[in-house]
Amino acid sequence: MFPDVRSRPPAEAKAAARGALTISDLDKSFTIAGAPRAVLDGVNLTVKPGEFISIVGASGCGKSTLLRLIVGLDAEYSGEIRLDGERIATTSLDRGIVFQDHRLFPWMTLGQNIELALLNTDTPKARRAQIVADHIALVNLQGFETAYPHQLSGGMAQRAAIARALVTEPKLLLLDEPLGALDALTRVHVQNELQRIWMAQRSTMIMVTHDVEEALYLGDRVVVMSPNPGRIRRIVDVDLPHPRDRSAPLLHRLKDEILAELTARPADPANLVRLPGREER
Amino acid sequence: MTPQSRIAAVAAPLVLILLWQLACLSGAFPAQVLVPPSEVARTLAALASSGELERHIGESMFRLGLGYVIGALAGLAFGATIALSRWAEAAFGPFFLALWQVPVIAFVPMLVIFLGIDEPFKVAIVILAAFFPIALATFDGVRGVPRTWFEVARVYRTRLPDLVWRILIPATVPAVLTGLRLALTRAWVVLIAAELLAADSGIGQMMEMGRQMFRIDVVLAGVVVSGVIGFALDRGAKAVERRATRWRTA
Amino acid sequence: MSALLSRPWLRIGVGLVVPALVLIWWQSQATAGGARAIAFAPLQSVGTAFVELAESGLIFSDMLATLSRSLSGLAIGGALGIATGVAMACWRPLDRVLGPLLMAIRQVPLMGWLPLIGLWAGTGGASELIVVSISAFFPTMLNSYEGVAHVERRYVEVGRIYGFTAAQRFRLILLPAAMPLVLTGVTQAFAFAWISSIATEILLGVGGGLGVTMQLAQTQQRLDIILVTIIATALLGFAINQLFCSLRAHLLRWQASPL
Repeated sequence: MFPDVRSRPPAEAKAAARGALTISDLDKSFTIAGAPRAVLDGVNLTVKPGEFISIVGASGCGKSTLLRLIVGLDAEYSGEIRLDGERIATTSLDRGIVFQDHRLFPWMTLGQNIELALLNTDTPKARRAQIVADHIALVNLQGFETAYPHQLSGGMAQRAAIARALVTEPKLLLLDEPLGALDALTRVHVQNELQRIWMAQRSTMIMVTHDVEEALYLGDRVVVMSPNPGRIRRIVDVDLPHPRDRSAPLLHRLKDEILAELTARPADPANLVRLPGREER
Repeated sequence: MTPQSRIAAVAAPLVLILLWQLACLSGAFPAQVLVPPSEVARTLAALASSGELERHIGESMFRLGLGYVIGALAGLAFGATIALSRWAEAAFGPFFLALWQVPVIAFVPMLVIFLGIDEPFKVAIVILAAFFPIALATFDGVRGVPRTWFEVARVYRTRLPDLVWRILIPATVPAVLTGLRLALTRAWVVLIAAELLAADSGIGQMMEMGRQMFRIDVVLAGVVVSGVIGFALDRGAKAVERRATRWRTA
Repeated sequence: MSALLSRPWLRIGVGLVVPALVLIWWQSQATAGGARAIAFAPLQSVGTAFVELAESGLIFSDMLATLSRSLSGLAIGGALGIATGVAMACWRPLDRVLGPLLMAIRQVPLMGWLPLIGLWAGTGGASELIVVSISAFFPTMLNSYEGVAHVERRYVEVGRIYGFTAAQRFRLILLPAAMPLVLTGVTQAFAFAWISSIATEILLGVGGGLGVTMQLAQTQQRLDIILVTIIATALLGFAINQLFCSLRAHLLRWQASPL
């Protein structure tokens, strides 16, 4: 069913050496009350190494499920998810993830939490402290190494979680609504920081978000998904160099378009919510 | 409860009894140390047919019932009073908390001096065992009613009887019921201990007599009966608690 | 009116009224003479009893005996309880088999075991220690089980992301996550062990201990000694409990609000 993936020309495979993700014909269903229920249906997506992909969609469109499949927490799916040609079946230190709830262990200090990620890597013990310190500096949390998570603000904890995810130098970093629980101002701040980190690291990142503006500000491409079952509705190219200016007219135009797309009812166009921005065009 | 755990809950005691019987049949334990469940069952049947078991259970239940009702009423009244009146709390709170530090069982020798070892002593120890947890639960329950609910009542100009009947009591009931249930099982434990010490009847006394006469079958019969009664009391109280707090989601 | 109570000295004063009234009533009963005077020991005799017990060192050796009995029981029963609870939470089959059995055993009132254990182990210190250990076993077992069984899945998932081995998952996630409840169990277990030490001492009356002294004083109609031991029991129990609570708060300093 997927001959193209397996018999890929060597040249293309070589180009996709670091953090190239291919998703083809991905289906996923859960059994709810004895009946199967499709969550993802025929998802196809190719992510280039070093690319930043944003995924937006209404609740229940399977965005988070998609990330759980990619990171390997759930291996029951049909179709193919391949990272640099290798089929994903379980978790691996190749892939990092930042969850909406920071999931730092409350019983460890910030430094210990980050060092924990290196536990099963072959990084020499002597170098670990330095790597941890570097990553704490990367997310601007110097001085908080010995703080417990409950002593950090939401934004700081989320930055620490980002540092923990990056410390293993994953080829692919997944972000599952990482800023969803933050207040609006902190959110803007961490978005800027995320952009800076991504530009410094240039690893492949896939971020799921509810916030269209955030998706456009950070993403090279924005994947718009529709719910029940989760399908890719449209992929929007954001052709603007990083670092970006929030007030760029392109971003605003695309935002209006995507919002219209997300709020449209596919079956009945007459029910379409008319946004002011849309009326103008 | 899933069907599986229901089966396990029934099967496990049966397995225990079976193992116990097999252990006795193997002859590893002399009869002075362990008698098989079949013999305990025979002893229980004999005790039951002679009316002795009924008398012991009846005596224990009477003490428990009387002491518990008195202790619970006093605890409810006291807990509600110190919760509602700051002055009462200031006056009685410290003394109450100081007494609360003393294990109820440590009052036994003192009560024996005051009341002797007859019925009043056993009822008094049950009263004490029930009073403290219920008073504390009532206090916590009444104090735990969110202030915002009173504010809602003020916004709608709720009259006092309605406030008590529709807000205060329903909001307090869950905590109080939990306290009532814990107090019941605690009172049972303390009563058994008191009966072991000094009594001429009751389940505890039956066990103590069995021990003194080296009748292990009687002791084991007492263990089984006291366990079954403890279980029944707890289950019964839980059922009442569930019924009375159906509106709760958790 | 109740605004007056915000003044600390007034609050303390009001709090002393009831104990003072009780003492006055008590003293009047004791000095009234008649049959009741024997029961109500006059306050000065409670004082002399305290001096007597303190000078002979009896009260301190009793406190030490009861305390060491409670702590030994806590060590034995608590260790077994934590091990059993953790094992049952980690391994479902064990839970299926052992869970209902232990629940059945738990229904028997603690002191109800005393006659049986008395027959097996004699009416000496061994029986006391066994009952105290049983009393410490159940709270630690139940709380450790709850703690490990309900570790949040989201933390276990983080362990999977970073490739934790089973041993790492246990040591770095399950154990610390369960620690608050395990320590709650230990604190409860101490309270239980303390109470059952006093109870077994009163019931068996062997070895030393506060309960033994109380029981002996009861047979000699010495209410003054009983009162002194009751006060000693309350103070020591309270002090050790506070110690456990602050130990718990220290070990769980990573928690936002210590319970």
